[in-house]
Amino acid sequence: MASNSFLGFTQRRAFKKLVSNSRGRLYRMAFAWTHDPHLADDLVQQTLYKALRNQRQLKDIGAAEAWLFRILSNCLKDYHRVKREVLSPEELVIVDQKTPEHESGEQQLVNNVRNAVRKLPLAQCQVITLVDLEGFTYATVAETLEIPVGTVMSRLCRGRRALREFLADVWVEPQSGRTATLKRVK
Amino acid sequence: MKKDEYFSEEQLNAFVDGELDPEERSQLYNESAQLAELDLRLCQLRKAKELVRYGYEDVPQPSRGARTKIGRRGYFSTALVATFLLVFGLSVGFLARNYMVEGQADKYFDTAAHPAATTSNYLLHVASGEPAQMLAALQEARHLLESAPAGELRQVEVVANERGLDLLRADVTPFATEITALQASNVVFYACSRTMERLEEKGVEVQLVPNTNSAHTALDRVVTRMKDDWEYIKI
Repeated sequence: MASNSFLGFTQRRAFKKLVSNSRGRLYRMAFAWTHDPHLADDLVQQTLYKALRNQRQLKDIGAAEAWLFRILSNCLKDYHRVKREVLSPEELVIVDQKTPEHESGEQQLVNNVRNAVRKLPLAQCQVITLVDLEGFTYATVAETLEIPVGTVMSRLCRGRRALREFLADVWVEPQSGRTATLKRVK
Repeated sequence: MKKDEYFSEEQLNAFVDGELDPEERSQLYNESAQLAELDLRLCQLRKAKELVRYGYEDVPQPSRGARTKIGRRGYFSTALVATFLLVFGLSVGFLARNYMVEGQADKYFDTAAHPAATTSNYLLHVASGEPAQMLAALQEARHLLESAPAGELRQVEVVANERGLDLLRADVTPFATEITALQASNVVFYACSRTMERLEEKGVEVQLVPNTNSAHTALDRVVTRMKDDWEYIKI
């Protein structure tokens, strides 16, 4: 199987190991994009399946991570294309099945952040999560999502600005412009 | 224009993401030390970044069913048993060497008729509820078993999901007898747990043909087997 692969035997072994080890990271990303555990799991399965099936297309093992996330992004696009629906916040709250009364303070903050990210347009959400969660460079994000670097930067700006608005409740601004406290944060 | 607005929002984001070149970064460091407004803007961006990380620091994955239970300890114990069997086999071979005279080996081991065993394994995936497709899957499984060259240790699995799950539902399948016969020939059948859950959510009680295994998802099984270099056939 896959004897004519662009990757050599050792690289193919490395690729399979990478695929196995990436499951958790792919799932976290899929969850951040959809906020639906079952859908996220399905997307990861499809991604891994496609990655293994199409591994011959991968010529450079160094680019494998970005390639995996690109497949994940394409799987999500396909899902929306087929379902012709965008998950609404109302639908997704039901999936959580948690109420604020049952949440600890920490969990509440986590939920607030997730709700804020959920409200972002998917394009901004994807850029922000790839940069902040995966630590991808702008160039890698551009390659992953198949968009120009300039678009990555503008989506990131708009997304972070929107997050600040959505998180206004937990966003405590400093009272004065110049304070020693802020500098200690750095 | 205020002095802190010399820097665009894109530049500030690039700064907190480590995307600026050293010269620009140094300039921004210096300016932020002078300008409280600029410092504040950078702080806000860092906070947004940190909050996103915090929000997704711990995202538990759904249970992966039986596969997870195998885990490392399972592999370790399997390896231990395999090592024991290997040592045992070598010892028996060594002790029995005197009982076999030259030329007798061929009598016991027909090496010409049974060349070195190879593995060529197949996973068939059924997602269609059409009886013709189900039958095709079963026929293909039978054909794969029967066409294996002598000496080949061929394994065949059939995984069913979506409408294809009907193949493995005891009260629905028209092919229970064929499935039982294939199971007797070591064909292993897997039902997708996700599909079963969905049916049960709709109030459908799912009963599987005896000796059917369950996989977390059908794709999960496909991915696992593809990683093991099995051939995948979608019916």
